[in-house]
Amino acid sequence: MTTELGIAVVNGIFAGSVYALVALGIVLIYRASGVFNFAQAEFGTTGLFAAYAGVVLWNLPYWLGLLFGLAAAVAMGLATERLVINPLRNSSRVTLLVGTAGVALAAIGIQFWQSNEQPIREMPKIVEGVALQPFGAAITWQHLITLGVLIVVALALAVFFRSPSGVAIQAAQQDGTAAELVGISVRRVSMMTWAIAALLGGLAGVLSGPNLTFTAGHLTFGAGAALLPGFMAAVLGGMRSMPGALLGGIVVGVIEQLGSLSLFGYMSGGGEMMLFFFLLIVLLLRPQGLFVRKAVAA
Amino acid sequence: MSDSEVTTEIAAEPLDGAAPETTQETEAEGTREMPPVVADQVDDEVAPFRPSIVGWLARGAVWALLAWVVFAIPGNYFSPFELGVSDVGHASKAAIFAIIGLSLNVLIGYTGTISFGHQAFVGVGAFVSAYVIVDMGLEFWLAVPIAAGVGGLQAALLGAISLRLTGLYFALVTLAYGLFAEETLFGITAFTGGEGGKNVPRPLGFENDYTFYYLCLAFLAVVLWVDWRLMRSKGGRALQALRENPRVASSYGINVKVYTMYAFIISGVFASIGGALLAQQSTFLVPETFDFELALIFILMTVVGGLRNRVGVVIGSVIFALLEEGTLVHLLHLEGILDSTIGLPAEFFGLVIGPILLLLTITRFPGGIGQQIAPLAQWLRGRRFDPHAGKVREVEVSDVRA
Amino acid sequence: MSVLEARNLSIHFGGVRALDHVTVQAGEWEIVGIIGPNGAGKTTLFNCITGFYQPSKGKIRYRGKSITRLPVHKRTALGIGRTFQNVGLVKNTTVAENLVTAQHLEANYDPWAGMLGGPSTFAEESRLAERADQLLELLDLSDVASARVADLPYGVLKRVEIATVLATDPDLLLLDEPGSGMGPEEAHALGDTLLGLRKEFGITIVMIDHHVPLVTQVSDYVYCLNFGEVLAEGKPGVVRNHPEVVRAYLGEEPDETDAPAEAASEEYV
Repeated sequence: MTTELGIAVVNGIFAGSVYALVALGIVLIYRASGVFNFAQAEFGTTGLFAAYAGVVLWNLPYWLGLLFGLAAAVAMGLATERLVINPLRNSSRVTLLVGTAGVALAAIGIQFWQSNEQPIREMPKIVEGVALQPFGAAITWQHLITLGVLIVVALALAVFFRSPSGVAIQAAQQDGTAAELVGISVRRVSMMTWAIAALLGGLAGVLSGPNLTFTAGHLTFGAGAALLPGFMAAVLGGMRSMPGALLGGIVVGVIEQLGSLSLFGYMSGGGEMMLFFFLLIVLLLRPQGLFVRKAVAA
Repeated sequence: MSDSEVTTEIAAEPLDGAAPETTQETEAEGTREMPPVVADQVDDEVAPFRPSIVGWLARGAVWALLAWVVFAIPGNYFSPFELGVSDVGHASKAAIFAIIGLSLNVLIGYTGTISFGHQAFVGVGAFVSAYVIVDMGLEFWLAVPIAAGVGGLQAALLGAISLRLTGLYFALVTLAYGLFAEETLFGITAFTGGEGGKNVPRPLGFENDYTFYYLCLAFLAVVLWVDWRLMRSKGGRALQALRENPRVASSYGINVKVYTMYAFIISGVFASIGGALLAQQSTFLVPETFDFELALIFILMTVVGGLRNRVGVVIGSVIFALLEEGTLVHLLHLEGILDSTIGLPAEFFGLVIGPILLLLTITRFPGGIGQQIAPLAQWLRGRRFDPHAGKVREVEVSDVRA
Repeated sequence: MSVLEARNLSIHFGGVRALDHVTVQAGEWEIVGIIGPNGAGKTTLFNCITGFYQPSKGKIRYRGKSITRLPVHKRTALGIGRTFQNVGLVKNTTVAENLVTAQHLEANYDPWAGMLGGPSTFAEESRLAERADQLLELLDLSDVASARVADLPYGVLKRVEIATVLATDPDLLLLDEPGSGMGPEEAHALGDTLLGLRKEFGITIVMIDHHVPLVTQVSDYVYCLNFGEVLAEGKPGVVRNHPEVVRAYLGEEPDETDAPAEAASEEYV
């Protein structure tokens, strides 16, 4: 039992680091545009498909392929902001939500179409092989790199939001009109936020992609689904707290892994069951999030 | 139907000359607050429009054409070309999707609650009816009400949750519920047959794909009737009021909780009926059918069809049902063009074009297909052809509750 | 027995005391006016009476029955109807449809039967439509019956709203600034309408308004609220000339339209 639990926790932490990357992007966009970005995970899958094209199809060096993948994600983020979010800025939040879901579905459609000849693909890892085996759980170098990137990203974001441009972004998110008055371009801030969020999504995609084979919609509803866990992580952080989202990602990763315990008789979909009921409990009992002290108006 | 036919008929119709004088009369009588907008409408009442004989004939011809497309062609009656079994199967699917679209319209359109888990609503209907027919050995005619009951119940549970959450968070819950149903509920082998799937026999007399199509059509007709009566009775009006303003609704004596549940139950029942038929239509039922992608397609077809527009939702659903697997592209003989120009195979047409249509709908044409065809629909009902009929003035998708 | 009796109502939001031991009564057939500067707690009082807010202290009785804990829709069913400061109507439908929607409790059939199209529902529906027409005619609104609410000007909507509340068949009508957005002449006409309505339906009216002439014209009794407390109460003439009221709220001399308004009210009462 202890071993089993240990494996679940360790696996959960590493799965959770991907969710945390997705969640950070969701929080950034929620703070900037007030929308639940259903396309956040698709930034990842798009980045993954692009990186795959670079590394495997065009035989680019791995780092260049990754860079291409991230650039594709950022381009998609910017396009979403310009073509969907900006025209809908006066619409309700749920219309925006439907809009981002449309973006996700468009990306998935294009991925299905482009991967028609070879629907199931495999992205090579940055470094092959298993690094550690705590409790017998196989932790690959890829997992460790993902966790490392998450820590670096978190630190970088923390530093960035204390720098002048980071403060400007936060000011613009708080009060657009006031920010315009002191010379901050809300338009630029919005685009910048979406670019950063898409970059985070892209990182989640290119880093988690090699863990499994992938198909179209991999991070949205495929084997590496990170959209719902990412949202849950963001909700745990009250939708506005970045450290909360980070911690939330790890917690959600572990909770999901608990669904695979033999306690549930190896039923199928144990993880999804845990996620659904956990989300219900959190939203119904503590809608302001687990890791926030003050209630934040939704 | 052909557009040219419609337009030539309009030209042939005599202009209604009575309008200008009557306008002045009403203006003289009008109270000082009466705005100009009203004057137009009053004038309509004073001189009701009556189509000429030619007008009636043209309308009759279009109605006959519609009836022919819906009723005769799929059964190969009076049809210049022979439809194969698989094509009729697609027609059945289109009718079923229309039922599902109307179900989602009750939630998104009438109550303003988004559902990203509608594949679960449909799936519950499909698997419950399959279970009743295959494992319990009961009749299809018993399975449908049972499936509808179970579907209504699970929808009511979700509705109870929606009462406590605001729009965006409830959207997350539906997303989680959909995935939970897809992976966990439908993964229970004893209930669904698991990966192996289930073969659901059709009811007596409707085994054949052609007759089955008429069965789907009959169910669609019932759902359309109920939906129509719903919006013309106190229940539908209550939903409309509480979508726009729950406070005003409750000050009218409307019990917000009860009517939110009411909407969820109706939506769940419609979706279950759709699911029960889908189980029969596909003849082989597997859990993977009901994935998140399907939920997204349901939202696409409802929003693109035009929220709160019955005809629009039906047309939108039919189009998306036919776009799946490329049927519509085949029927219109477009596959060559698409493949050679942009290399888009017909079966991906829906997946690539659909989301673009959705984005266009919410950013440019908030009324969806329903708005585009409103002038024609009005004309068919014996009114004047007015290109601005049914115009949605505000972004109607946006009054979804948030 | 008074129709409405709100005793010692207190409620606060954060640190702000919106109502502090406010007691308000309205007797059968009375028209009670409530005046006071912005933020005095007038609308909060209405929200407590109709059930949108739960007062932290105090009791509300309606015809002797305690309604302090009832939900909004049940208070409507008992006969409390209200209008809203910023127009409470379903904006995407027509005026006539609004009136039919407001007859929710009047519609004598089950919503499920209505959905299935039971034969009795058709008859009932046409009865509701007819009643809506009658009410619109009564308020001189027949010409806007088929106009979309969102297209109508504010002043008309204020009257449509009154027609809509009447459709809920109230015994007690709470009107939140019915005269806002109206000129003196229109406000005067509204006063006549209100007096006429009382005669026609035998209802009790509690009305918030800034139009002091209008309030004076129709009210039997007036309360003046300030900072969540009752500053003064009594006959309209008394309250209007109460020194504190003049200081807190009017701050100016009574204007000219007052005199004819008073004359008019005497004609009716």
